[in-house]
Amino acid sequence: MDAEDRLEKRLDRQMLLKLAAATGGAGVIAGRAGIADAMRSFSAAETGRLQVLDWAGYGNDGGQSMFAQYVKQHAANKPRFTYMTNESDALAKIQAGQRPDIFRPYVGWVKFFATSGLVQPWDPSQIPSFQRLNPFMVKAGQYGGKQYGIPDDWGFDAILYRSDKVTPKSRSWGLIFDDRYKGKISWFDDLNMITVAGLYLRFKDPWNQSDSELKQSQQLLTTKKKNVRLIWSSETNLWEAFGSGDVWIAYAWPNDWVQMKKKGLKVVYMRPKEKPIAWVGMFMLLKGSPRSHLAHAYVDAWSSKASAAWLEDNYGYGHANLQARPASSDLLLALQLTNARAVTEPNAHLDRDIPRRAVYAKAWQEVKAS
Amino acid sequence: MTTPSLLGLPLAWLGAFFVAPIVIVALYSFNVYALFPGPHGFTFDAWRSFAHNHVYLRLFWKSTQMSLVVSVIIVLLAYPVAYYLALSGTKRKYILLLLLIAPFLTSYLLRVLAWKVILGDQGVVNSFLFWTHLRSPEHPLSQLLYSRFAVMLVLGYIWLPFVALPIFVSLESLDRRLLEAASDLGASRLRAFWAVTLPLSLPGVIAAFFFVFIPTLGEFVTPSLVGGATGYMYGNQIVDLFGTGFPDWETGSVLALFLIGVVAVLTIAFSRFLQPQQVAAE
Repeated sequence: MDAEDRLEKRLDRQMLLKLAAATGGAGVIAGRAGIADAMRSFSAAETGRLQVLDWAGYGNDGGQSMFAQYVKQHAANKPRFTYMTNESDALAKIQAGQRPDIFRPYVGWVKFFATSGLVQPWDPSQIPSFQRLNPFMVKAGQYGGKQYGIPDDWGFDAILYRSDKVTPKSRSWGLIFDDRYKGKISWFDDLNMITVAGLYLRFKDPWNQSDSELKQSQQLLTTKKKNVRLIWSSETNLWEAFGSGDVWIAYAWPNDWVQMKKKGLKVVYMRPKEKPIAWVGMFMLLKGSPRSHLAHAYVDAWSSKASAAWLEDNYGYGHANLQARPASSDLLLALQLTNARAVTEPNAHLDRDIPRRAVYAKAWQEVKAS
Repeated sequence: MTTPSLLGLPLAWLGAFFVAPIVIVALYSFNVYALFPGPHGFTFDAWRSFAHNHVYLRLFWKSTQMSLVVSVIIVLLAYPVAYYLALSGTKRKYILLLLLIAPFLTSYLLRVLAWKVILGDQGVVNSFLFWTHLRSPEHPLSQLLYSRFAVMLVLGYIWLPFVALPIFVSLESLDRRLLEAASDLGASRLRAFWAVTLPLSLPGVIAAFFFVFIPTLGEFVTPSLVGGATGYMYGNQIVDLFGTGFPDWETGSVLALFLIGVVAVLTIAFSRFLQPQQVAAE
């Protein structure tokens, strides 16, 4: 047993003793509610504000409803937010010395972070809402039998197009490469463009392309880049360009379809025959976080039915809490929320680990620079 | 107060916030420092890879061309404005100068974003073209936004006052007696301009050129807002290498240092033009 394991065991014993002291043994008898009360007492012992590294729009800049329950219970430890522009940015920030208690990469990064030594597994028993989360998504957050990611929001990468301007030749990712719509296409600024090229080219494993396949994907993207007007990195960029008619076809998320419909545009959210890519947000707990229990309480707030419904209604993404349903039937349809396995085969390809992420990144950078 | 103590603070400032960061970036470029833990040591690998990767060098050349075009055009545009303000004798020159720099009173981001409203497919320019039947709404001038043209236009607009000011200062400090002497000796106004005004204002022109050329060469905000897929510049590549896709600080540092090196060499090469006495002597 190494020193780290011994420390974990000691902490577990300490935690149990403190829990027992805090509840007078009531946790064992009172079930989940008792444990939740006990966790509140225990997290009160942790000091300082909870440090959250999240995407813009999910902190005090509009996403307060997602963690209202946490703020109510832990007014003295309100979350302090810093923002990540993507997982790579979060990785660079953490490697450079930032110490957030929690951060939120997407499912394709679970293995990477779980094996990086930067994060520690969650203790689902400290998250009362955990049992209401989609079991498939919960499993996608596991690595080596441990729960490294707690699933939260989810959606698809598929194709959005103007039905009054565009006539697809087929239901295919090929639409975002279509020469007929030169100057009216928008791609997403992400490595997934390489994966999508691989899907379109019918490679066996687009997430783990060989050198020769990667070269073909890169060549396809480089050749077709002439048709692309905008490579968007934030949804507001896309909404602006799509809404104003500057682009007609886009690599997009379900919420983009909802937003463009709200603008009165005739739009179709097309599920390509090569299948869309599904993504699931995953809360991760930094290794050695001094506010582990507060972090669990924060994630529990995010996982509640009320937060989940708010997210679906206001941000247009699905939520892993199976009890939540959006008010919009359009969104219900786009996200296939009645299908608990919407994010996986045969419906979609769940995004996954890219073993040669650095090589993919270089290839994508070269496409953009070309 | 002695000279060393007067210089101490600015030198310490430069050392801490300019020299030290560059040294750190250099150490990253040679893999002496690395973002990820694990074995690493001094190597030229990233530099070697950069030298053999034509994509990065081509992008640098593209950005250089764009910056050159922007810098030359706005120097040519700003010179007559500065000339009028400095030498026309108008009493309102400082008010006009204030008007010239008035856009600086608003946010940089706002000024850039305003161009989206003007240049979009349904923007002001295209709407005018539809109205005059010069273009049909089905065929707007789409090259106006999300293009190299958009980046160069917006950069020119943003940096114009920076160009006009140094030229204005150099013209304002011109010894008017030289122009009178030229006139007395029979030189036409055009001849006096070529023989006296232009050479004496050249340090201001060169300074103005570099005021624009250097920052626009590494520009990344404007291209990311209005450049689209084709307006991507060298500065965007550096930013992306540090954070998008997968962080590659080693290559990002090489690209950043190469940019600093080129700018330093150019600045040294042209610095003699920034010596007023020398130009005047010529």
